[in-house]
Amino acid sequence: MSSLLSVSNISFGYPGLPVLGSINFSAEGGEFIVLMGINGAGKTTLLDILAGLRVPDSGAVHLRGRPLRAWTVRERSRRISHLPQATQQDLPFTVEQMVLMGRYVHADRWFESKEDRIYAEDAMRRMDCLQFRHRLFSSLSGGEKQRVLLAACIAQCPELMLFDEPATYLDVHQQLQCFATLAELAREGALCIAITHDLNLALTHCTRVLILHQGKLAADFATPEAAKASEWLAWLSPRLRMTHTPEGNPWVLYQ
Amino acid sequence: MGALPMTAARPAGWIWASAGLFLLAALLLPWVGSGSISLERVLARQSPDYPIFVQLRVSRTLLGLLAGGALALTGGLFQSMLRDSLADPYTLGVSAGAALGAVLTIALGLYDMLGFPASWAGALFGATAVVVIVAGAAWKRGQLSGARLLLSGIALNSICSAFILVIDSVIQDRRSISIIQWLLGSVDSVSYGALMVFAAVVLVTSIAVITQARAWNLLAVGEVWAGARGVDLRRLMITGFCCGSVLTAGAIALTGPIGFVGLIVPHLVRSRISPDNRILMPCSLLLGGVLLAVCDTLGRIVLAPAELPAGAVMAIVGGPYLVWLVRRRF
Repeated sequence: MSSLLSVSNISFGYPGLPVLGSINFSAEGGEFIVLMGINGAGKTTLLDILAGLRVPDSGAVHLRGRPLRAWTVRERSRRISHLPQATQQDLPFTVEQMVLMGRYVHADRWFESKEDRIYAEDAMRRMDCLQFRHRLFSSLSGGEKQRVLLAACIAQCPELMLFDEPATYLDVHQQLQCFATLAELAREGALCIAITHDLNLALTHCTRVLILHQGKLAADFATPEAAKASEWLAWLSPRLRMTHTPEGNPWVLYQ
Repeated sequence: MGALPMTAARPAGWIWASAGLFLLAALLLPWVGSGSISLERVLARQSPDYPIFVQLRVSRTLLGLLAGGALALTGGLFQSMLRDSLADPYTLGVSAGAALGAVLTIALGLYDMLGFPASWAGALFGATAVVVIVAGAAWKRGQLSGARLLLSGIALNSICSAFILVIDSVIQDRRSISIIQWLLGSVDSVSYGALMVFAAVVLVTSIAVITQARAWNLLAVGEVWAGARGVDLRRLMITGFCCGSVLTAGAIALTGPIGFVGLIVPHLVRSRISPDNRILMPCSLLLGGVLLAVCDTLGRIVLAPAELPAGAVMAIVGGPYLVWLVRRRF
């Protein structure tokens, strides 16, 4: 039985600038993986490769044992959703229309079916944007926009969800809600991979931590192991220290 | 008015209303003109009413409806494809390219090509060439830059216009007069054969464009966004550029360069009816046709018996309206 996602020996570079070298890992549904690394470490590039938006120079990504390039765009998009880092902001669509865009590969009719609307409504409820579903996207604040984009990715109902900094622009409460929702989606069987810089948000919600350092996959821990080890923190910053809360949960101190 | 709740209810109603308006324009506008025409005499096929009505008024109205629709749909298409609210066949230089191609065939004295007006082939060639050049100039690292696109469109517009003037001053005979007339952008009566071919072209290309309406919606958000939701970007972009060129070239070859309809109509529909391309595109097609046909009719009657070219009426009416719209929205 092949893994949901398996990455073998991926390398990628721009002319004169190697970005990623021999990345290997595989993952199953039910995992919530957090991808971390300093700016320019290649996190977004790796996520784009997993989404099929970029083709690696060498190596291959397999989805359910089949090379990603062998899937058609439509087949692939039924299984993978991807939240890009930045999207145009002044769109004339309503929130509901934006979220329904996530149903593109599932709807085969001119207008979305009732089923599509149910999935979109569920996604909006999860991301707490149902109450402004009829507002124009361009009239929302940055954090509200981000929640709408997240809801569209969730409405796509994929097995593999890729999020490039999902908590950007969100207030503290919404950041917590966002990560709790991603963890919940993973418990329901999806594989979630998110890029983030917030260590404590990551350690309290995810099941596995991947660290990119100098183009290599420098660390690959299940969350409890990551909490015991602490040398990997040095790859992110020398000013971090691993401690534990009185309840015994890992907590990274900024010094 | 930015946060008005959008009623999702009965969006198709708008399409039917636009179609009704289109039909109404087709039925009523031929009766309007400098000379009055009586229904009885037309039905009795009496001269001069019958020939004026059938050969001049009806074909002219139909051309206005089709050409206006083609240009407005192309405007809406380019605005979604390029994520730029200023993109339309005119601002991107596609109209000027088509005009240059058509003028070239007039100057060379080519009138007929395999049974079709030679200016069609010239216009199609010119429009395609401009689309390729403008998109090529604006393409960088897999992304189209809006500013680059408009700047190269403006440059191509000037270049094509300059060449048209050069051609016009070199030939200096009656062909020159026909070029000038054509350049004013007027809806003149054309043969029913040409009209039928144009109608078929508009029908096929607009079906090809409008059936992809959901994909255009996604593309309006962003290329990465659309790609990750399952849109086949390469095929979609090729479809869009091909259909846009064909629609523009067909309209321009028959009417001369008419601007504004590709900007005004999609903007009006977007702000008043819906930004959803499933509604915006069919409504733009239908209402664009109505607008051009109405402008042509106005040009026929305001200074009768003199006629104003529809392009001029469109600019006089549409220009100030667009300024007002921009002021309200941005």
